Amino acid sequence: MTETSADKLAALQAARDAISDAGRPEAVAKRRAVGMATARERIDKLFDPGSFQEIGGLVEPDRGHEMSRDLVAPADGAVTGTGRIGGRPVNALAQDFTVLGGSIGTVADAKCGRLVKFSRERGQPMVMLLEGGGHRIQDGMNAAHFAAASPVFRELASLSGWVPMVTAIMGQGFAGPTAYASLCDFVVMLRGKSTMGIAGPALVKAGTTTEITKEELGGADRQADAQGIADLAVETEEECLNAIARFLSYLPQNAGEAPPVIPCDDPADRRDDGLLDLVPADSRKVYNMKKVIQAIADTGSVFELKPGYARNMITAFARLGGRPVGIFANQPMRKGGILDAAACEKAAHFIAMCDAFGLPLVSLIDIPGISIGPAAEDTGLGRRSGRLFFEMGIATVPLASVVLRKGYGGGYYAMGGGRAFDATIALGWPTAEICAMSIEGAVDVAYRKDYEAAPDPQARRTELIEMIRGQTSALDAASGFGLDDIIDPRDTRRILIDTFANSPARRADPAPARLRPISPI
Amino acid sequence: MSLINVESELAGTVWSIPVSPGETVEEDDPLVMVESMKMEIPISAPRDGVVKEIKVAEGDLISAGQVVVILES
Repeated sequence: MTETSADKLAALQAARDAISDAGRPEAVAKRRAVGMATARERIDKLFDPGSFQEIGGLVEPDRGHEMSRDLVAPADGAVTGTGRIGGRPVNALAQDFTVLGGSIGTVADAKCGRLVKFSRERGQPMVMLLEGGGHRIQDGMNAAHFAAASPVFRELASLSGWVPMVTAIMGQGFAGPTAYASLCDFVVMLRGKSTMGIAGPALVKAGTTTEITKEELGGADRQADAQGIADLAVETEEECLNAIARFLSYLPQNAGEAPPVIPCDDPADRRDDGLLDLVPADSRKVYNMKKVIQAIADTGSVFELKPGYARNMITAFARLGGRPVGIFANQPMRKGGILDAAACEKAAHFIAMCDAFGLPLVSLIDIPGISIGPAAEDTGLGRRSGRLFFEMGIATVPLASVVLRKGYGGGYYAMGGGRAFDATIALGWPTAEICAMSIEGAVDVAYRKDYEAAPDPQARRTELIEMIRGQTSALDAASGFGLDDIIDPRDTRRILIDTFANSPARRADPAPARLRPISPI
Repeated sequence: MSLINVESELAGTVWSIPVSPGETVEEDDPLVMVESMKMEIPISAPRDGVVKEIKVAEGDLISAGQVVVILES
């Protein structure tokens, strides 16, 4: 009997049903048992309702050699396709942990490559929802297959700085998922459920005899808070998917577009009187820089990245008059706001991302200096701080620097104070205090012989300290035209909004034609 | 309930201790003030809890990574 079109359509529907959650009740039950969603549920929640078009759902795994002959792998363990987030198209891949442990097979790898091609050619963000063990062992332990390697890292690197790249580690993410994440602009993980790292506990035990739980080895405490390889740790899958949408909402679809400016109800000339008392004039006292950011930015617009890592440096997307901006700021509450290696790299990566996607930068400066001492030197700070100078040096988006209080030493330069990086506008608050190093330290280094020879050394030392302090004020800074203006803190918001509205999208790039600059690390 | 070792992030001198054993604290409340780099810098509660034990005294020299308070959370 001849098959009809209806028969063929029915066969197609049966094939689709077989890969759907409804067609795989055992797999869904396994997910329910551990309180986790399926790959398809995650895709549904990530995208605007009804907007997802899957590609490659009907593929079969590579069964080309003896160990893979009997593999069963719906969609080869990866749901891939294009949908809309906030009305804008995004390409996404979701690994299916219920298919051979979320392992990456040859065909899934090709599907990923096609998404990269979409993102590159169409200028659309790339999102990966990852959960799995990395390369599929059945494929990988075979040189006929593995020797060719995968072009995926070259492909992903080709997207860097062109379109926003996001990874959510939604469960186990040792090995492959972590490697994918390493090339992304934003990485979010689930606290208590997600793990990241080069290899998981079993391999660590086999290779090094070290026994450690997966949470201790690669949980959010280590990978988000201590190491900063994830930008955010959240509690639930819903928060995780919402964080992706929020991250993308500040960015253009690609580097060729302008960042999305949205209508803003918060008045540009709103003056927050709280700013008058927030920064104590007494530089011994610390304060919470996050309150300054909240007071200046559009209400509800601050989205902090790496909030648990290098907390002496705050990096946050925000909006000013509806315009997305990148704010980086010293946090006096943490290590006095000093620049250590972690803080330098956190800021440097953030600046690179903002510069790639056209977000103007706001530097809020209260910096006692760059960290000193053997512990600091052991982190390679002499080189790693160079990464911050480097990114500041090559960034061409508008830059506004505001010295709230301390602007000390090389840290003041690194934060873009004054003319260090040709800021679009260089401002200070009346509480600013700017000089090459801590005043007491300067007196002890440069004037020790002077005060030790005095009849009353302590009195002479105090006199010298006060004398120097008398020439480091905000008005002194303005008098030498190192800053463009000293402002009432309450006017900061209005001035920043006006400055960015009045500036071209890029500052002039002083670099001669070259193939590429070379990052210090 | 778990015990959290609250460590100092930096070296310095214990300037003041604004909490007492048994006191209930909220996340980000200062537990110990450290004088370092001519500033009084707080070591804050990493989460809500009760101060179980204070391991330092005013005037103590402390190093980065040293446990200063044990918090029950």
